[in-house]
Amino acid sequence: MTILPTLKSLAIAAAILASSSAIALAKDVHISVWAGGTGPNDVYRLDAIEIAAQQLQREAALKGEDLKITVEKKPYSAWEDFKQALTLAAEAKTAPNIVVSGHEDIAPWSQAGLIVPIEDYVDLDSWPLSDIYENLLKIASYNGTVYGIPQDAESRPMFFWKPYMKAIGYSDADLDALPQSVQDGKYTMKNLLEDAKKMQDKGLVQPGYGFYPRTSNGPDYWQFYTSFGGTMEEGGKLVFDKAAMTRTYQFFADAVKSGVTKKNHIGMPGDQWWKEVATGKAGIWDGGTWHYARLVNQEGLKDFFGNVIFTLIPAGEGGKANTLTHPLVYLLTAGHDQEDTEIAAQLVKIASEPRTNALHAVKSAHLGISKSESTVDFYSADRWTREATERLLPHANAMPNNSDFGKYWNIMWKNLEASWTGAKTVDAAVGDAESELKSTLGDKIVIR
Amino acid sequence: MKSSRTLGLVMIAPAAVMIILFFLMPVVLTAVFSMTNMTTATGISGGVYQIAPNSLIALKSAMPEIAAEMAEPRYTIDEAGLTAVEGLGMAPGIVAELRAKHTGEVFPARRDVERMIKDLADRPSTREVKQISEQFNRSVLNTRFDSREQLFSALDSLGFKLTPEQQEIVAKTTYTGWTWTTENFSRMASSPDMARVLFNTVLYVALVLTLFNVGYALLLAIWTHYMPPMPASIFRGIWLLPRITPVVIYVLLWKWLAWDSGFISILMGKFGYLPKNYLLDTAYNAWFFVVLINGFIGASMGMLVFSSAMKAIPKSQFYASEVDGASRWQQIRYIILPQMRWPILFVTCYQTLSLLASFNEILLATNGGPGNATEVWALAAYHTALRNYAGNLEYGLGAAMALVLVVIGVTLSLLYLRVFNYGTLVAKPLIED
Repeated sequence: MTILPTLKSLAIAAAILASSSAIALAKDVHISVWAGGTGPNDVYRLDAIEIAAQQLQREAALKGEDLKITVEKKPYSAWEDFKQALTLAAEAKTAPNIVVSGHEDIAPWSQAGLIVPIEDYVDLDSWPLSDIYENLLKIASYNGTVYGIPQDAESRPMFFWKPYMKAIGYSDADLDALPQSVQDGKYTMKNLLEDAKKMQDKGLVQPGYGFYPRTSNGPDYWQFYTSFGGTMEEGGKLVFDKAAMTRTYQFFADAVKSGVTKKNHIGMPGDQWWKEVATGKAGIWDGGTWHYARLVNQEGLKDFFGNVIFTLIPAGEGGKANTLTHPLVYLLTAGHDQEDTEIAAQLVKIASEPRTNALHAVKSAHLGISKSESTVDFYSADRWTREATERLLPHANAMPNNSDFGKYWNIMWKNLEASWTGAKTVDAAVGDAESELKSTLGDKIVIR
Repeated sequence: MKSSRTLGLVMIAPAAVMIILFFLMPVVLTAVFSMTNMTTATGISGGVYQIAPNSLIALKSAMPEIAAEMAEPRYTIDEAGLTAVEGLGMAPGIVAELRAKHTGEVFPARRDVERMIKDLADRPSTREVKQISEQFNRSVLNTRFDSREQLFSALDSLGFKLTPEQQEIVAKTTYTGWTWTTENFSRMASSPDMARVLFNTVLYVALVLTLFNVGYALLLAIWTHYMPPMPASIFRGIWLLPRITPVVIYVLLWKWLAWDSGFISILMGKFGYLPKNYLLDTAYNAWFFVVLINGFIGASMGMLVFSSAMKAIPKSQFYASEVDGASRWQQIRYIILPQMRWPILFVTCYQTLSLLASFNEILLATNGGPGNATEVWALAAYHTALRNYAGNLEYGLGAAMALVLVVIGVTLSLLYLRVFNYGTLVAKPLIED
């Protein structure tokens, strides 16, 4: 009777000892990663972290550590839902370890303390981080500190449906020369509207389908502002160039007035838009480099290069031909165990290796992040990634990392939509934007 | 008597807690948030003090020399730093080499000092490099301080002697969190778009309320009143369908009906019209559909209330009027409508308040478009506070907008009660006096 309790306590003690020694030997780490704007072509944003986890486990094993990393992946297809979920989760201290989001989020999120600088955890001078394009790394920084590691690069070209361009008088040689002509500023926004009109007048496309831009708010619209001579930021201060914004708003108002763009274009179902541009229902449109993957993989456009030609966004009055790169970045969120964050940082670093990143670039038709990625055969053998990298990336601008840019963006977009749909005249829209910017941002924005 | 009073308080306690937690608190919190400039960038829980290049831009105009000095990031290899590194317990060769070869060196940026550390003979790991470099950091640039005191003691130790006025400016420009403000209200008052949104809201509530929630509901109730019981029940049941269908599916059906490749476009295509997105084609179209979508949902409730109220009218009144040769219209005018005053009061009051706050159908159908034409106040508050593409959620402004709705709602409720003489309604029956 008396020996039983003693045995029992011994057994319990042994069990505790055994379990604690097991904990000391094996380390289980749970890393969660969320990615915004992630469709079926973008799965490597998340899968790359899983691949990296495999690598890091093997490296740990060689060092005699039993490291076990479980990666929990959560893709969000839309941006609004993702940013709302992430912001509120981070405020509630339940944010994932790694976030894949637009670089423009670095400013507000770092100021709010939701993310921590990745440069505190990784050696930027070592490969593969040392090989990442300097300008991309700069875009991933704020206040001189590197907060994120670029996950991809891209650009937002103008697309033309080749058969219709031929039908309105362009020869094959003319079309081959078009990208250069746009780059040199010889083919402008004015020409674009004229060509779109010609396509409609010839009955090649229906009214409103000549120029068929993005159907919702997005970084694309800042390219038009740049194209008409606008500047987003100067010396750390946001800039609202009234004349450039007027020309930008006027461009879309003119497109609607001349009938080449639909008045009700914004807000149309996305699936419909994709189907229409993939089947030649539209003449000219703008979109991201990743559109290639969607058009070819999901929308059934088999002969892309036979049907579509892509260029920079042409210059408008007072501006220059340009494109915008909007890199997504891997960010580390605050409020986690220091060691977990360090492992998360290591995973991001490994996921940024050229061959792993090339999986994402080729599958999703985004562009590579480092110099040596273009030397990876798998990447350079892909015609789209090769051509898009060479022709677009050198001319790419980026949106500013400024904690007030989001407010500016909302006001800019709201008034663009209003002048587009005729709810306001262009002058009224610019005037309203100006007065709202003044009352919202005060001296944080330069109005000129 | 006393114990029963205590018991009463105990019995009512759960209800009181629920009322405070779920009814009063949201309004109080909305009012509190509305007096702040809270956004994603300022965070909700509060801020810190950080001398960052972006805050130095503002500081530059007030005190250019101090700002320029603060902007200097400095990493100095000094004895204090070396002693601190010794305390970290790393390989002794690291400190020895640093002391022998690098004492007195100043590095402008962290990456420069870290490159030097990585070149040491006993190369430290990345984590150790970061720990070592931090010991030589003689700058406050980009460091986050939890309190004002920490910031100024750090500045003080670096030789920045600031007057109280200067301290005030530095604290103000380097604080990253939210502050109390009434700016949200002045922004609302001065924004031309807000005036438009307010107008949209009045239009939306007035149209849906008069045309459907009261008008059409009354019509339906009268129609079914004169029907035989069985078809009347079936008819009412059908009219309840929009109310009981999940709103996402219900709105999606409308979208299928109205968009470019939808039913209307296909039908009109037979008559030679080009397909178009009827839902978003013009502001008028969008309004037409928004009113219909919400109206058909809202009409059912009024119909039920009015129908049951009509059933309560004594049948003898109808029989008597028939004997007197009254037409249907005369019955409606002189028997039904006069006795519907209170149900109409209830439906008008209840539906005004629910329409003021409702936006989910509009969000799903038009998302406020085209060109913000159908953006109503509640939807604008939601867009501002919780949803936008750029991810910069403006909680403070959104709360201020929500507060306006609360104020309008409470004012309207009081107004309705006064106009419809609520006092008489709840007065004790004379017979009990």
